[in-house]
Amino acid sequence: MMTKLMIKKVCIVLLLLVAFQLPIIAGAEPSGKLVMFHAGSLSVPFEAMEKNFEKMYPKVDLQREGSGSQQAARKITDLKKPCDIMASADYTVIDKLLIPAAAEMNIRFATNQLVLCYTERSKYAAEVNANNWYEILQRKGVVWGHSDPNLDPCGYRSLMVIQLAEKYHKIPGLYDKVIANRPKENIRPKSVELISLLQTGNMDYAWEYRSVAVQHKLRYVVLPDEINLGNYKHDKFYEQAKVQVTGKKPGTFMTMTGGSVTYGITLIKNTPNREAAIAFLKYVLDPKGGLKVLDEMGQPPFVPCRVPTAAMKDLLPNELQKFVEVKN
Amino acid sequence: MKLQTIKIREPFFWFTVSCSAIILAFILIPLIELMTAPSADVLLETLKDRDVVRSIWLSIYTSGSAALISFFFGTPLAFMLARSEFRGKRFIESIIDLPIVIPHPVIGIAILSVAGKNHLLGRWMEALGIRIMGSPTGIITVLTFVGLPFYINAVKDGFEGIPQRLENVSRSLGASMFSTFFRITFPLAWRSMVVGFIMCGARAISEFGAVVIVAYHPMIAPVMIYERFESYGLKYSQPIAVWLVAICLLLFFLLRWVALSKPREA
Amino acid sequence: MITIAHLHVHLLSFDLIDICLHIEANEFFTLIGPTGAGKTVLLEAIAGLTPVQKGQIIIQNRNVTSLPPEKRGVSILYQDHALFPHLSVINNITYGLRYHPIDEKRARQRIQELIELLNLSHLLKRLPAHLSGGEKQRVGLARALAVEPQVLLLDEPFSALDPNFKADIRNSLKSLHQNSTATFLMVTHDFADALSLADRSAVIHQGRIEQSGKIEDIFEKPVSPFVADFVGMKNLFPAVLNGTVASLGSLKIKLSQKPSDHSRSIAIRPEEIILTKNPSSSGSWNVFKGSVAKIIPQGFIYEIHVDVGHIIFKAMVGKNTLFQLGLTEGSDVYISFRPEAVHSL
Repeated sequence: MMTKLMIKKVCIVLLLLVAFQLPIIAGAEPSGKLVMFHAGSLSVPFEAMEKNFEKMYPKVDLQREGSGSQQAARKITDLKKPCDIMASADYTVIDKLLIPAAAEMNIRFATNQLVLCYTERSKYAAEVNANNWYEILQRKGVVWGHSDPNLDPCGYRSLMVIQLAEKYHKIPGLYDKVIANRPKENIRPKSVELISLLQTGNMDYAWEYRSVAVQHKLRYVVLPDEINLGNYKHDKFYEQAKVQVTGKKPGTFMTMTGGSVTYGITLIKNTPNREAAIAFLKYVLDPKGGLKVLDEMGQPPFVPCRVPTAAMKDLLPNELQKFVEVKN
Repeated sequence: MKLQTIKIREPFFWFTVSCSAIILAFILIPLIELMTAPSADVLLETLKDRDVVRSIWLSIYTSGSAALISFFFGTPLAFMLARSEFRGKRFIESIIDLPIVIPHPVIGIAILSVAGKNHLLGRWMEALGIRIMGSPTGIITVLTFVGLPFYINAVKDGFEGIPQRLENVSRSLGASMFSTFFRITFPLAWRSMVVGFIMCGARAISEFGAVVIVAYHPMIAPVMIYERFESYGLKYSQPIAVWLVAICLLLFFLLRWVALSKPREA
Repeated sequence: MITIAHLHVHLLSFDLIDICLHIEANEFFTLIGPTGAGKTVLLEAIAGLTPVQKGQIIIQNRNVTSLPPEKRGVSILYQDHALFPHLSVINNITYGLRYHPIDEKRARQRIQELIELLNLSHLLKRLPAHLSGGEKQRVGLARALAVEPQVLLLDEPFSALDPNFKADIRNSLKSLHQNSTATFLMVTHDFADALSLADRSAVIHQGRIEQSGKIEDIFEKPVSPFVADFVGMKNLFPAVLNGTVASLGSLKIKLSQKPSDHSRSIAIRPEEIILTKNPSSSGSWNVFKGSVAKIIPQGFIYEIHVDVGHIIFKAMVGKNTLFQLGLTEGSDVYISFRPEAVHSL
C-alpha cells in the first residue's frame, strides 16, 4: 500500500521537475543575445539605454557586464569570454589591449572629469574645497581610496590627478605625501564599490567621475580644469602625469600617460551577433538616442562622435558612417 | 556503528553502490582535474610568490580565529540550547541558522553597514580604534558570522548526547555547575567540539562572497584566486587553488586524526 | 529530617500538587506509586534539580527551597545508576569528596568501609562500561554515601536488577542504612520492597499524596480504593454498612469494629482468605460457601477466584494447598476470614 502511493508521488515530483526545466532548456540559446562589457562608470547611463533599446527591438536581450576597463579588455583577450561590444572609460585601453587582435575600430563618444567625492558624514566635510583637499587627504584618521589602477582607468586617473596637483600647486613631494595616507586596504577593483563604502561611512573620500557622483547624489569637490582631466585643451599639461600599470601578461608593465577623459566604444571582431551589435551602436551614437541619455546623466558626449583617422572611418559599418566624424 | 552483511546479489545493494559511486565521482572528478592541471614547477613557482603565501596564511589565521571565537562564545549557547526548554527556543535555533541561508554578499553588506560611521556601533568601533573595512578584524568578523551555526549545531548535538542525569548526580555530590561542566560534560563532549571546530573552520576558510565586500585587501586566498582568475585567467589561479585545497585537507585530516581516532580514555 | 510543605511543581508534561510530607531523621522512608505518578519528579525537586512553583522543602531545619543542588547535602542514585563513564570506579566513588570539608583520614576510612561493605575492592580500577548491573548499582551507592549526605534519594533501585539478586541488594541497603546517619528516601512501584525496607511510607498517585504513615497502616488500612488496590487488597467491594455488619449483595459480613461514617466499601487482603473443603468451625469468623471460578498461576502461588453468590473473592494459595484441596474450576470450596481482616474505607 505504501509503496504504490510512494511511487505515484515520486513520479509526479519528477514530472514537475522536468516541466520546470523545459523552459530553461528551451531558453538556453535565444537568438538576439547581445553581450557588452563596459566601464563601471557607464553602468547607470547604459542601463537606461538598455531599456530604451530593448523597447525598440524586443527580440534582442542585451546583457551587460560592468567592470574596470582593463579588466573588461582582459575578459575578451585572455579569458576569451564571448562579447559583441566593449565600451571603455579610456579609449587608449581599446587601442592598447584590444586593437588589432580583438577589434579594429575605436569610436570616441563621451568625456568626463574626475572629482573627489564625499558625504556629509565624512571627516572635515564642512571644510574641504578645491584649495585644501590635498592637505585634508594627508590628515591622520582620514580614510580615502581609489580603484585599482591595474584594473580600472579611474584608478590610474586618480593618481594622475594627484600628480598634476603637485605640479599645478607647485608643491614638490605632494604626491608621495598624499599617497602615504592611503593603505592598500582602501583600494577596490571597481570605483563604484567605493561609493557604497562612502555611503555606509566606511570611507571619507573617494575618487570618481563626476557623472557617477551626480548619479549617486554624492557631494564632490570640483577641481581646476588643469588637473581634473576633463578639458582636452589642457592635454599638454595632462601629459606630465604618468602611471605604470600591469601589461598584457603578468610580469609585464605598460605606462599610461595623462590625457583628457575620453570614452571609447568598439565592435568586437567576429562577434556572434553582429547584426544586433550594429543596431545597438547605431542607437548609442545617435544624438537623439544614446548620446542624449549620456548628456542627461551628467556625462558630456561628443556630438558627433569621433574617430582619429579617415582610414578607421572607412572600416566602420555603413550604418554608422553618418554618426562619426574624423577628428583627433 | 553496526555493519550489516548484505547478500551481494540483492538489487538494493547494487542501487546503493551505484548512487554512492555517482556522488563520489561528482565530487572527485572536478577536484582531480583541478589538482592535476598545474605542473609541478608551476606549483613550486607559486609557493615562492610572497603574496600567495601571505594570502594562504591569512586565510588560515582568520578562519582559525573565527573557529576559536565560535568555540568560546558558542559553547555556552550550545549548552543552553541542549539543556533548557523554554518558549521561543525554536525561534532562537532558527536565528542561529540564519547565517546559512543569507546570501553571502548580503552578509558582507550588512556587516559593512554596521561598521561604518552611519551606524552607532560603527562610531563606537571607530572611537575604540577598531577597523572593520579592509582589515583582518573585519574578515574575522565575517567568518565568525558564517561559521557560528556550524559550530553551535555540532556541539549542541554533542551535549544532547550526554544524559543530563550525569550532571544532576555531579551537582548532588556537591559540584557547582561550572565544576560539573569541566569535570563531566567537557570530557564527554570534547570530541563533538573538535568536529564543530573543523566544520566551522572549513566553512570559514572557503568563504568568498561576504569577505570580498568587506575586505578586498588584505586578500584571503579565495579572493586572490578570484582576482588572479579575473585578471589573468585560469592558468594563474589554479596553482593557488591547489595549494589552498591541499593545505586545508592536511589540516583537517590532522585535526581529525589527533582528536577523533583515539579510543575513550579513563 | 525532611519536611515538605505544600509543594507544587509544574512541568510541561506533569504536575505535583500540594505535596505535604514529614520524614524523621535517619528514617528509611519509601515513596510508592505506579509508574508516572510523579515519584521521580518529587525526588528531583527535593534534590534541587527541578524548579518548584510553590511550597517549601526543609532539610534538617534548613530551608533549602531556593538553594542550588550542590548546597543541599542531598545525594541521588538514579535507576540507571548514572555512573561517570570516563572515570574509574574509585574515581567515581571519590568524585564528590573535594566539595565537602571532611577530614581526609575520616574520608578515607569511610570510603574503605563502603568499599568493603559493598564488596567492590576488586573492581576499583575498572570503567563503568565493564561492570554488571548489580556492580554498577553498588558503585552508585558507594559514590552517593561517600560524601556523607544528610539525605540519600534512591530512584527505583531494584527495577533494573535480576530478581535473584534483589534479596542481596535489599540486605545491602538495610545494612548501609544502619551504618549511616543519612535519611534514606526510596521510590518504588513495588510494594513488597517497601514492606521489607521501610519504616514509614507514602503513596503517591497522579501527582498527589494519597496516604502516608507507617507501612503496616498503609498495608492494612488503606484510605482510598486506589491505595487499597495498589497495596494488593484485591477484594474491594462497595457495601452497605450498618453497625458492625456490611451487606454485600446477599452476604452479611461481620466487622470487628464500627466503621467511620463516610465508609462506603470494604476490602480484604487475599492472604487473609482461607480456603477449606469443609466449613471452618470458628464462630466469630465469616464463612461462606462458593465455587471456584478461576485459577490463575502467579509464579509460585496461585490466585483463586471464588464465586460466592455472584461475588468474586480472590484468595492466594500455595501449590501444596492447591493439591491438597484438589481445587479445580467449578469445584466447591468454603472461604473464611476474620472480622479483623475486613477493612472499611
